Amino acid sequence: MADFERQGGVTRAELVQRVALMEEMIAEGRQSTARYGWMFVLWGLTYFAAIAWTVALPYTEWAWPVCIAACSVVFGIVRTRQPRTGGKIDNLRRHSLDAVWQVIGGGIVLYLIAVIVSGHGKEPGYLAAVLFFNGLANGVSARILRWWPQGAAAAIWWGCGTAMLFFTTRTEVLALFLTATFCGMILFGLYAMWLERHDAGMVQAHA
Amino acid sequence: MPELPELDPVVHGKLRLAVLSLLVGVEEADFTWLRDKTGSTDGNLGAQMMKLEEAGYVAMQKRFAGRKPQTLYRMTPAGRKALAKYVSALKLLLGGAL
Repeated sequence: MADFERQGGVTRAELVQRVALMEEMIAEGRQSTARYGWMFVLWGLTYFAAIAWTVALPYTEWAWPVCIAACSVVFGIVRTRQPRTGGKIDNLRRHSLDAVWQVIGGGIVLYLIAVIVSGHGKEPGYLAAVLFFNGLANGVSARILRWWPQGAAAAIWWGCGTAMLFFTTRTEVLALFLTATFCGMILFGLYAMWLERHDAGMVQAHA
Repeated sequence: MPELPELDPVVHGKLRLAVLSLLVGVEEADFTWLRDKTGSTDGNLGAQMMKLEEAGYVAMQKRFAGRKPQTLYRMTPAGRKALAKYVSALKLLLGGAL
């Protein structure tokens, strides 16, 4: 051990410090600076608002298009005003996640609007497809992130989607849709937000 | 007794090692992000980035994000190789404790 201490004055303690520095920086580099949890909560609340409108308010055919449009506007405003927590970081994982949510998320919105406007919104099979799409996006995202809680969210979407094909009364369909939305979107989003706050606290504590 | 490996002085510098470790996990990163993550100053980071560029370990690209100029850095294959070699040397010096 003392051999290398004589070579150029490098000590073991210094080398160990370098190793710790590398580990810390590699972890920092891989850490996403983006905040996603609120998006799940926002979309979950939008689903709830749209369902509430269709149950309790007139002009039900407008419920989904109006709620989705309103949510998109809020989404855009919040996203553009969100403070940047770091500089430009661009890695393959981020690209993959963005691609999954942009393509499948966009598909879900288009599909939902098309189903409602075409008058198929009350048929369980069409609504079950929405749940499967959501499960698909969460499932792929969970695989990319190797994050089992999101895998569990995907399983909830798929489970409720499957059940919807067997339990087809209006009450059952509504209950399944709301259960999937609450567990797979709102609860999951709140959990993600909690994790984001927790991680930010960890970084500050080590700063 | 086997000869002990030498540590690449360009990689061994504390701030340069921090930057290379950050860049190894991303495709590219801008100057501001690197400065914030390493907690260094503009001047110090700029000087160290120049040394890394001269060694061929990072490549720099300037572009505009809207109207704001942005300096982006990415690790070159030579930089990855140098970092890998540095880690191997560390392993040997620390007696395979890594």
